Amino acid sequence: MNKKEGRSGLSLIEIVLSMGILSLIMLPVFMTFSSGNVNIQVTESEFRAHTAALELMEQIVSLPFNLIKPGNYDSSQVVDGSQLANGPVLFKITPVDDLKPSLKIEEIKRDNKVVFKKITVKIGFPSARAADKTREFTLKTLVANESR
Amino acid sequence: MKVVNKNRPGFTLTEILVVCGVSAIFLGTAIMLFTNFRQGYSRSENVAVLMQESALFIARLRTDLNNAVLSGPGSGNIEQQLQAFPDHLTFNIYSSRHGRILPVVYSYKRGKDGGSLARREADEAEKLLIKDHVASLTWQMQLEHFATGGSGTFRISLGIDLQLKTSSGKEKPFAIKTSLFPARLNRQLNNP
Repeated sequence: MNKKEGRSGLSLIEIVLSMGILSLIMLPVFMTFSSGNVNIQVTESEFRAHTAALELMEQIVSLPFNLIKPGNYDSSQVVDGSQLANGPVLFKITPVDDLKPSLKIEEIKRDNKVVFKKITVKIGFPSARAADKTREFTLKTLVANESR
Repeated sequence: MKVVNKNRPGFTLTEILVVCGVSAIFLGTAIMLFTNFRQGYSRSENVAVLMQESALFIARLRTDLNNAVLSGPGSGNIEQQLQAFPDHLTFNIYSSRHGRILPVVYSYKRGKDGGSLARREADEAEKLLIKDHVASLTWQMQLEHFATGGSGTFRISLGIDLQLKTSSGKEKPFAIKTSLFPARLNRQLNNP
């Protein structure tokens, strides 16, 4: 009995401390797994935004030069079936949840003649890392006036 | 010997059992966590593969559509330019590699475990783009007509609704829906 009482063991504080340190070491290891998942979700949301941006960009670029009318269109105006600059051209947008497309068309003039139209497409999409934040994907191009 | 054995301090059975129980609980939780992460990871890895396949297919099709041209002089029939059937899609492109206009055929073969998608240029061999992962695919030629004076303005596009699934079919399918607009072909249609 005497020997048993004299036996030295680990105190509760020591055990709690060592477990705390162990969990601190293990935490980053587990974090790498979940961050891999998040990265794939980030790629997926970027891919969807990219697809939507190209869809909007291409349908404007496909129009004859005089029908690409300058203007600013926010996400409430860029919806399927709505008019581009009072018609007759209509937007054709595949509805995708949580995407906020907007469009800006500017004229670039030289010697009082419109030589280029600058088309800027912006797609707002929710960030996969933080649900309350939004990110933006921007695509720009120039369309040349081919008429003489 | 017996005396020494008796005096040597040791753990009691209860102590050992308690320690075993506690460590089993800890180890069990850790292993469960690990396998959960592992499963989640392989699931999203499979989804990433599907995403990559669909991205490559759409990029390929977009490049071809950007090079799409009218199939011949005086061919006024717009519907002939982009023919989309349930199992294949065909149009003409200007191939810079060959320096002439060639037909391109995308074919979709339904399979028991999943369909496949292939692309063929002129009379070259068919190249497989997606193997056995297509759950469903519809493509549709869409023609818009805007009244802009004269004969009006046409805008042709190809609507795509693609769903991919993994071979095991356990994970949720990856779906993408969009429209592709062949800019060069549209330019030609409106400037005969």
